[in-house]
Amino acid sequence: MNIEKECKAAILGGNILLAKELAETAITQNLDIYEFIDAFLKSIREAGDLFEEGEFFLPELMRSAEAMKAGMTIFMPIISKDKEDRALGRVVIGTIEGDIHDIGKTLVASLLSAEGFEVYDLGADVPISTFIDKAVEVDAHLICISALLTTTMVGQKRLIDKLIEKNLRDRFKILIGGAPVSKHWVEEIGADGTAENAVSAVKLARKLVNR
Amino acid sequence: MVNKSSILELIDERIIILDGALGSLLISQGLPAGMPPEIWNITNPDNIKRIHKEYFDAGSDVVLTNTFGGSRLKLLAHKQGNSIEEYNKKAVELAREVCSNEGYIAGDIGPSGVFLPPVGQATIEDFEENFAEQSQILSDAEVDLFFIETMVDLKEAETAVKVAKSVSNLPIFASITYQKTKKGYYTIMGDSVEQCVNVLERAGADAIGANCTIGSDDMIDLIPQIKQFTQLPIISKPNAGKPQLIQGETVYQASPKEFADDILQMVKSGSCIVGGCCGSNPEFIKEIKQLGI
Repeated sequence: MNIEKECKAAILGGNILLAKELAETAITQNLDIYEFIDAFLKSIREAGDLFEEGEFFLPELMRSAEAMKAGMTIFMPIISKDKEDRALGRVVIGTIEGDIHDIGKTLVASLLSAEGFEVYDLGADVPISTFIDKAVEVDAHLICISALLTTTMVGQKRLIDKLIEKNLRDRFKILIGGAPVSKHWVEEIGADGTAENAVSAVKLARKLVNR
Repeated sequence: MVNKSSILELIDERIIILDGALGSLLISQGLPAGMPPEIWNITNPDNIKRIHKEYFDAGSDVVLTNTFGGSRLKLLAHKQGNSIEEYNKKAVELAREVCSNEGYIAGDIGPSGVFLPPVGQATIEDFEENFAEQSQILSDAEVDLFFIETMVDLKEAETAVKVAKSVSNLPIFASITYQKTKKGYYTIMGDSVEQCVNVLERAGADAIGANCTIGSDDMIDLIPQIKQFTQLPIISKPNAGKPQLIQGETVYQASPKEFADDILQMVKSGSCIVGGCCGSNPEFIKEIKQLGI
């Protein structure tokens, strides 16, 4: 079996069944699961690149992420037994209160999860205190705050101000996202970064947690 | 109301000018974060009427009702599902109050906010119910046409057009939101210009086109591509450039003059229904009017 080729077919084809089958085969035949995981990762990054190049669109990218998640879910119990830090880091993500835009945030959450982050997706219209409580509870590495409206973007700032007030700012890296967010806004509110799209967001997340 | 010609007859005679942004103006007038703009039809009717009037005064032939997010699925996300009839009816009344005999009122229908798999869990039946209810209310409130806009999923747009067609004989304008990719113009779901045009035309749209996301400069090249696949009237309703955040304020880069120059290009390449989307205001419509097209 050509692991890399099969995994690529499963992920780029968005084939959930094949991804699960591959993961189960790896386990039952006692193959090196990390070879599979690396092949999955390579493929999901390729899906991301295809999205950036305009070859893939949202449905294809979501299907690839779903296939990846399906495969990784099967590996997860073994990975967590093997080595706890195989997970890239814990991420708390959500759309800020007052804002119900979900799509970009969900895409970033799916890709982060597919990449190997442990993701806590709080959904949309999430109060600042919920973000902070969850991040503290799971000892998150990253908090990702989405805001699609110029009026709700200020919530990103308020969240960061709240962390500073509670003396918690240094515990987390903070990524902000959403159409109106700019590099300038990142600097103005003291976030750690933003990205043009979901794929770049994942790259940046890896960089911020040094993986 | 006096007998006036259908908007479709007017299109044969001259260029139709739509209005510009509504949501971004409401925000600048104090619409609180996260509040559905439709609530203001009830609580702040004067703000809505004033904006409609400013657009008519600036030269708009058509204004769109404040019902972009007025469908059940969209309002449910704000726990406002029970108010759908009230919001939509009132929106039409407000526009009617400031509309002259020559003006037209378009019942604005925006996306449901939910998605088909694999992006979400919605079904076509969800879309059908959603748009049937809203278009029926708007039709009963006597809008002059439907304006289905900012659709990023062609299947949702197609459903909205078919459903609107089934509830009334009113003209249907249908507008898609495209992204400019390296490969050309596509919806975020991957629908091409050709697919969008063909599907919407078959579904029964009377005019088709594009709005939102791309600025007027980026929309210039899109219009000839739409033209190549249809004889129907073409709608151009671009944003006022790409939004930039400057010192915490969202600023759209195109000036009214630059915007109107871009619109002129689009008219030359075949668009006959023009207006503005996010970031535009009555000044932009005035500039279009001054083109004398």
